[in-house]
Amino acid sequence: MILLDRVTKTYGKDLSPALDRVSLFIEPREFVVLIGTSGAGKSTLLKLLTREEKPNSGKIVVGGIDYDTLKDNQIPMLRRKIGVVFQDFKLLPQRTVFENIAFALEIAGMTRHEIKSTVPKVIELVGLNGKEKQFPHQLSGGERQRVAIARAVVRQPKILIADEPTGNLDPKHSWDIIRLLEKINKYGTTVLLTTHNVDIVNKLKRRVITLDHGKVTGDQAEGSYRQ
Amino acid sequence: MMIRKKMDSKAFARHKMKKRRLLTFYRIVRYGFENFIRNSWLSVAATAVMTITLLIVFIVAASRFILTDTISDLGDKVDMSIYLKTDTTDEVGNELKAEVEALSSVKSVTYISANEARDQIAQENSDNSAVLDAIKVATNMNPATLRVVVKDINDTSELEKFVSNDDLVKEHLNADYAPSFAGERRDTIKSIGRVVNFIQEIGIIVGVVFVAISSLIIFNTISMAIFNRREEIQMMNLIGANKSFVRGPFLIESIIYGLIAALIASGIGLWGLYKSSGILASYEVSVQPTIDLASKYIVVVVLAMIAVGSIIGIISSTLATRKYLKS
Repeated sequence: MILLDRVTKTYGKDLSPALDRVSLFIEPREFVVLIGTSGAGKSTLLKLLTREEKPNSGKIVVGGIDYDTLKDNQIPMLRRKIGVVFQDFKLLPQRTVFENIAFALEIAGMTRHEIKSTVPKVIELVGLNGKEKQFPHQLSGGERQRVAIARAVVRQPKILIADEPTGNLDPKHSWDIIRLLEKINKYGTTVLLTTHNVDIVNKLKRRVITLDHGKVTGDQAEGSYRQ
Repeated sequence: MMIRKKMDSKAFARHKMKKRRLLTFYRIVRYGFENFIRNSWLSVAATAVMTITLLIVFIVAASRFILTDTISDLGDKVDMSIYLKTDTTDEVGNELKAEVEALSSVKSVTYISANEARDQIAQENSDNSAVLDAIKVATNMNPATLRVVVKDINDTSELEKFVSNDDLVKEHLNADYAPSFAGERRDTIKSIGRVVNFIQEIGIIVGVVFVAISSLIIFNTISMAIFNRREEIQMMNLIGANKSFVRGPFLIESIIYGLIAALIASGIGLWGLYKSSGILASYEVSVQPTIDLASKYIVVVVLAMIAVGSIIGIISSTLATRKYLKS
């Protein structure tokens, strides 16, 4: 569950707010697409959810955690409960596919035995069998994004945030990634996807929230991209 | 029963936490080593810079020891002579020697009788027949001498006071030759003292400046290495790694740089010291005591170098990672 109640975020005193009294409620297991032009406030919203930024006012509750009561030393724990996928993958370049995925478990203090039994299952889920020992530079863009998704879901988070995951991919690989996100959503994970891809938004037939100049200007149950 | 069960579960949780911490520590160390090996070019560059830094630290420290020893040797060589009358007996000479030796500012006194002085001149000029002939025919005697080495060549006041006030000295002082701390030699001795002080002070300043500059260079190198991997740090941060987990491997890497660099720098430094000892000694530079000291405490020297390298590395990487770790 994600709840935003009249959240405002301003970066500079004289600048107009990046988010202006935004209120949202996303149910558990929902698949939500967040759209908007550049500068509409999508990235700011995601940064607030991952606690990279703090709001100037308003309330944020994610997965039962009230961000108002969150201490700095609890932020890593919060981030372990939220899976994040980025447009530029953000993989560790010197680590293999297996090691990149295992990293998410190692930081959480899981044992070697647990890691050895969990990682192969996720590799299978994202369809990267046989690529375990390859390094990111040996993979295609689509495969790299699969590694990033595997790393994000290996801890079985309740929420998965995918920030423009198809931004660097061709249409075929983009759809592969979207299908994978749908599969993860089907297993019970709330997915919050941001994208500029009109085709994906229109064909997905999922809830679409539109942001414009920091305000929610649309919230459709089975939305499409309104140009 | 319930309480015992509760205690057991608490102990179990504690044990699990301890195990987890150990596992995390092991992983941090492993990541540090893996990063060091996988980022080999960066590691070689950082280790090379660290080696130069530590070599400078070694040279500065060794120079300081060598300088101190050389200055001390120099001080011992600068003796002051109190010339006594030619007819001074050995008995009086030795009595005066004991009195001068008792002064707190005096390090040592050698008494040279008139005959010994004559023999000494003959010996020093053994290949100069003209001098030897002159000594044979000379009717005048050489003055008996008290050669005094003071602790601090800048402070001869006590000795001067003693020579001008003590009755026994006054009675036997040679009227033709003034004591060497008076007159021209006095100025020479004083200026040597000033030069020695100046060199010591400059040595400290130059040493501090060199160490500071090389620490800045190593800080810069590590900062650049970390800057190259800032996205990795941000990513680790975003997927929920603790600050210590992100920073830890960088610290381990820096310690490895320090460790390897310390071994190389100590090796090169000690080798250089041994190799240059002959040349330096020929210039009257007192290098042997430093070599002896370094050889005796070689383990301490290497450990100190490792400590210096690691501390510079740890401080550098802590500062460099800090700006990328602001939650």
